[in-house]
Amino acid sequence: MESTAPSTAEASFVITKARTRVFGLSWDEVIQFFFAGNAAVAVVVLALITIFLFREGADFFRLNSSQNLAVYREAGLEYVDIVRDQEKDHAALNRYLADVRLQALKYYRKQGLTYPEAAAKLAAFDDYAGRYSDAIEPIRSKISDWSDFVTAIKTKFGVRADQLAEREQLLAAGKTAEAAKVKIDVVDARKELQPVLDDRASYQEAAQQAAQQLTALARQLPEAPTPELQKRLQRFAELTRQYVATFPATEKKLETWDATKPIPFYVSVTSFLFGREWLTASFWQDWYGILPLLVGSLMVSAVALVLAVPLGVGAAVYVNQIARPFEQRWIKPVIEFISAFPSVVLGFFGIAVLGEALRKLSQVPWLSGLPGFPIAERLNALTAGCLLGLIAIPTIFTLAEDALNNVPRSFREASYALGASRLQTIVKITIPASLSGIISAVLLGFGRVIGETMVVLLCAGNRIAIPDFSAGLGAFVQPVHTMTGIIAQEMGEVVRGSIHYRALFMVGIVLFFLSLLINYAAQKIVRRYRISGG
Amino acid sequence: MVTTTPVMPASESLDPSAPPRPAANQRLFDSIPMRATPVTPARTVIDIQNLDFFYGAKQALFDVNLALEEKRVTAFIGPSGCGKSTLLRCLNRMNDLIDGTRIARGSIEIRGIDIHRRDVDPIELRKRVGMVFQKSNPFPKSIYENIVYGLRLQGVRDKTRLDEVVERSLKGAALWDEVKDRLHESGLGLSGGQQQRLCIARAIAVEPEVILMDEPCSALDPIATAKIEELIHDLKRDYTIVIVTHSMQQAARVSDKTAFFYMGKLVEYNDTRTIFMHPANAQTEAYVSGRFG
Repeated sequence: MESTAPSTAEASFVITKARTRVFGLSWDEVIQFFFAGNAAVAVVVLALITIFLFREGADFFRLNSSQNLAVYREAGLEYVDIVRDQEKDHAALNRYLADVRLQALKYYRKQGLTYPEAAAKLAAFDDYAGRYSDAIEPIRSKISDWSDFVTAIKTKFGVRADQLAEREQLLAAGKTAEAAKVKIDVVDARKELQPVLDDRASYQEAAQQAAQQLTALARQLPEAPTPELQKRLQRFAELTRQYVATFPATEKKLETWDATKPIPFYVSVTSFLFGREWLTASFWQDWYGILPLLVGSLMVSAVALVLAVPLGVGAAVYVNQIARPFEQRWIKPVIEFISAFPSVVLGFFGIAVLGEALRKLSQVPWLSGLPGFPIAERLNALTAGCLLGLIAIPTIFTLAEDALNNVPRSFREASYALGASRLQTIVKITIPASLSGIISAVLLGFGRVIGETMVVLLCAGNRIAIPDFSAGLGAFVQPVHTMTGIIAQEMGEVVRGSIHYRALFMVGIVLFFLSLLINYAAQKIVRRYRISGG
Repeated sequence: MVTTTPVMPASESLDPSAPPRPAANQRLFDSIPMRATPVTPARTVIDIQNLDFFYGAKQALFDVNLALEEKRVTAFIGPSGCGKSTLLRCLNRMNDLIDGTRIARGSIEIRGIDIHRRDVDPIELRKRVGMVFQKSNPFPKSIYENIVYGLRLQGVRDKTRLDEVVERSLKGAALWDEVKDRLHESGLGLSGGQQQRLCIARAIAVEPEVILMDEPCSALDPIATAKIEELIHDLKRDYTIVIVTHSMQQAARVSDKTAFFYMGKLVEYNDTRTIFMHPANAQTEAYVSGRFG
């Protein structure tokens, strides 16, 4: 050190300094790595969750087509369903008839008849309805015979699947000897199903019988009290004739049906994405169709947004543009406080108070004109949607208020200087200038709502069926089930690794993509807004 | 506008007893091409009397008396925080939009009507007294929509009338030739100077009597500034113009009359030539010769 000592002039210019080092890193670097590490953990966890979601869900389509749907065909359930569909169409006609009867009954009651008198007048009608319903009894008995047969075959497939699973488990545990001992049943579905297929002749006979009866009944319609109802009965006869005309097609289907035809893979995908039924642990056949859940989620969200958008945006406009500072100081925290409610508490409130209150309200006579009123079910899409709206309000309010805040003051001043009133300035300048921010606020509110679980699980009524949209807006007071709700409800009970388990993960993936899409759209829109805000 | 402490420390240059130095002013003034025609007294449009103005508890204007003349350009000059912008914003009651502002004493009369009278609608007032701001602020709309905004507010729907007004206003603001082919493109796509002229066009579209300009060129480059100054000179034929400026050269170039403010008080008001060459007040003299401010 002494030997390399610089000249005195250089020695006075000291710019080096000894630094504390931790694992060979300076403090700056340690802090830098700490923050980088935090960011990395967040990214890695997100990636792991996504990978896990996909890994668990991925096998669903393969299993669904190779097991669930394959057994449906091989065991002959599909064959029987052809005839069952035929029976369902008949049931629909029965309902049509029942509706006409209801209208007739109402008419008689309005005429001032007592209930027994009206019923007596309808005796002939009821007799007709009874005969109409019994007309396809021969087909029904065929369905019942065949159903017993094919469910027995399906059970055998189930036993075999269990045996295979058991052997798999033993092999995985390394117990080769015991695994070899497990007996695997051989199911010769074709042979077992043969009696059902051979029975087609007797079905044809039954169908012919039913067709004759129905044709005859279509000709001898009962009396209806009003011309309008008479017209509906005419229509009914026409529908019956059309129904009978489909019989040959059904027979043709049965004839050409082939148990050995393989199920294409895409059917597994389409039956999930476009399937109208979500039916699990059924004695007949399991269906994993996401449509009823998706529709339920969207309906509940729609109700929530219809409530939350005007309230949230309106409140944001008021607080940001009109309110006095005193009001601002109060309103903002109060609205933001709503998000402090745990959603389970809101759900509880929905069950205990709101559902009942809405039903009471719907029974007020002068409101009975509204679609769906009076409400039959206490818990429905409307109840859940109202509460979700409450949850979405703080999100929409806060973000919309931010967007309004970002509108440069100079825009407003320019507008006032040109002789605009406050309202004109808000409507023509402030809101248009912040519109993309407001839209993205609404989208993020939507994202918040569609991912919400507890409230819908408690308040949506949890009926897994697409609501009857023939009721128009009345569909919104029917109970629904949602994507989030079904995962929360069923995930605890399913066998890990089963088709059902994987189907729930697929629902999760759909939900994930939906949220991703909403968030992406919101970000895109906000970015555009920043540019236009200049 | 927040503090009452002097913008500059008290120094001998502000001492009224200090001898004036007309030579310095002369040099400044000679370097500027004077456009102001010799000023003959004109009719008073705006009459400000004994005006005291407060932001909350803080007084911003002290006993201001000022009579602004018709079809003249009047410049308000003075150091930052002297109250010139505040006074400007009083003239079309833009200060109403700021919480806690109030006029404690005095009156502003425009064409003989006290603008703070109870039955005066500030919205109607602002249609007659237009304003151009420091930072150009076209709406995020098309050029066309920017200009017809004020007319649409008044309920004008007639397309030919709107087209006429757009053309006349843009020509009036010397912008027509530059934008006539892209009237329906966004006003935000224009350059800074063009945007400011668009704002002027927007202000004259509603045909006000008075145009208030709050440092209209402070964000512009010299060429754009020259264009705006040219425009102000032309607009003088039809409008009474009040301009707040930090640039003494600008005040000298564009204005007929100049008012010098200091710490909320009107120090001196006279013909621009007089203010710059023979100021009566030592503070004025110190300011215009560039010794403080």
